[in-house]
Amino acid sequence: MEEVSWTEFFEHFHYAIAAALIAGLICPLIGAFLLVRRTGFYGIALPQFAAAGVACGFVVMPWLEAQLHVDFGADGMASGEHAALNIHLAWASLFTMGGLTLLTLARRGGTETARIAAAFAIASAATVLFAHASPVGDIYVHELLRGEILAIGLHELDTLAAVLGFVALSIVIWHRDLALVSYDRDQARVLGLPVRRHELLLQFLTGATVATGVMTVGPVVLFGFLVIPPLAARAIAKSMVGYLCWSAALGLGSAVLGLVLSKELDWPLGPAVVVSSTGLWFASRVFGSMRRG
Amino acid sequence: MKRGETSVEARSAAFGYDGDPVISGVNLVVHAGERIAVAGPNGAGKTTLFRGLLGLIPALEGTVVRASRRFGYVPQHEELDAVYPFTAREVVTTGALGSFEGANRFWRHLAPPMRELAERCLDNVGLAGRADDCYAELSGGQRQRVLIARALMTEPELLFLDEPTSGVDRDAARQIIALLAQQNSERGVTVVMVGHQLDVLREFATRALWVANAGVIDGEAGELLSPQSLDRLLSSGSEAAMWKK
Repeated sequence: MEEVSWTEFFEHFHYAIAAALIAGLICPLIGAFLLVRRTGFYGIALPQFAAAGVACGFVVMPWLEAQLHVDFGADGMASGEHAALNIHLAWASLFTMGGLTLLTLARRGGTETARIAAAFAIASAATVLFAHASPVGDIYVHELLRGEILAIGLHELDTLAAVLGFVALSIVIWHRDLALVSYDRDQARVLGLPVRRHELLLQFLTGATVATGVMTVGPVVLFGFLVIPPLAARAIAKSMVGYLCWSAALGLGSAVLGLVLSKELDWPLGPAVVVSSTGLWFASRVFGSMRRG
Repeated sequence: MKRGETSVEARSAAFGYDGDPVISGVNLVVHAGERIAVAGPNGAGKTTLFRGLLGLIPALEGTVVRASRRFGYVPQHEELDAVYPFTAREVVTTGALGSFEGANRFWRHLAPPMRELAERCLDNVGLAGRADDCYAELSGGQRQRVLIARALMTEPELLFLDEPTSGVDRDAARQIIALLAQQNSERGVTVVMVGHQLDVLREFATRALWVANAGVIDGEAGELLSPQSLDRLLSSGSEAAMWKK
């Protein structure tokens, strides 16, 4: 990798670079809401649900084909073709939304942290068991969990841009409503806001971001973007709008730094992004402490 | 709404959770321009009554008619999570969210009139110049006043406050009460306030609702919340002594 020039790097990996920058800019906006709602661990648990969904697809699709004698394209699921990505995305979305719904329905039982920890353990076990039941799926899911974003193609980039574009637009328009519903539900109801609808919107945006992120940039990069930039932003932001802007800016900065580290040190991009965002987190803590005196 | 008109009326209402009534047989009328204190022992159902009148929980029995259209709601400042990095202005402007539809929520909030209105409401509660301060870093009394400013954004006819003087020192409590009295006398805002400090409630309210034993006793504030009345209302002498204190 040392012998690859920047020009060649851009030429070969322009889809991956664009995907990392888009995810870096927009995923932290969802992460910012997860963090202030004290559900930051969703950032770890939900990608695991998405991976379990993909692994489940490898088991269920061939079984369905055999039972119904219909060709769903199960043979090409590990091919990397557009149709295969769409199938994986559907399974990842199904499991992510299902996991979110279960976590929401179980809100009254135990602490939030304990529920998320249990959900993570269950999703991890399910991923391993489903992958074990399908040798092809085992290899694919293993690769997915490693998150090799540099192999991303145009279709993945298109999908990521479309979904995250919708997420970003929704947050720009509705961020005050989403913040109020999260912060003071009773006040939102007194003001006549459709509280349940806003909660479902936030849930849907979270699920869509996680499912698409896992299938395109991978769980490691996604986790790095969802959780760490908002944590860093919290240390320096002086307003809610500032917090969202800083989260996005630090996510974008993590993506740029991660790409540089990945290219210069020949690191896998996923861990490089996490290292970058962690560095920015420490820097923001120091900056925040200095500003507070 | 003119003073004396019916603002909220509960008829044989029961309020509770999961189908189990906490208080029942509630018959009361809140008139425009009144100052009402809601008091009673812990766990008796003050907040349940408050939430029922406000419409946050449905009546399990009977009916609640709300003639007022513009409600202001002020929760306890301690209920709101300090992890959110809101400024005082941001907290106050959320009070106007019910006024806008769709994408207007985004554009209108950036418009100068909205900022001016928020600053005027902060000015009304004595926090001019603190708009850009972090809400979580303000004192308890200041936070409570920010929440009152937020409620004023809707130009409410009826203001519901849940223990607005809890967790604040006596000076700050007096400032809050003076502010509410001013809103009531100058703008005719009806005030319904849950509280524990009987001297403060007696001083402020003209009417009191005593919530105990799954029901509501309605009376004149000075009389119902007097030490003699407390002896009758509270079964144990130690409980009465605690309230008088």
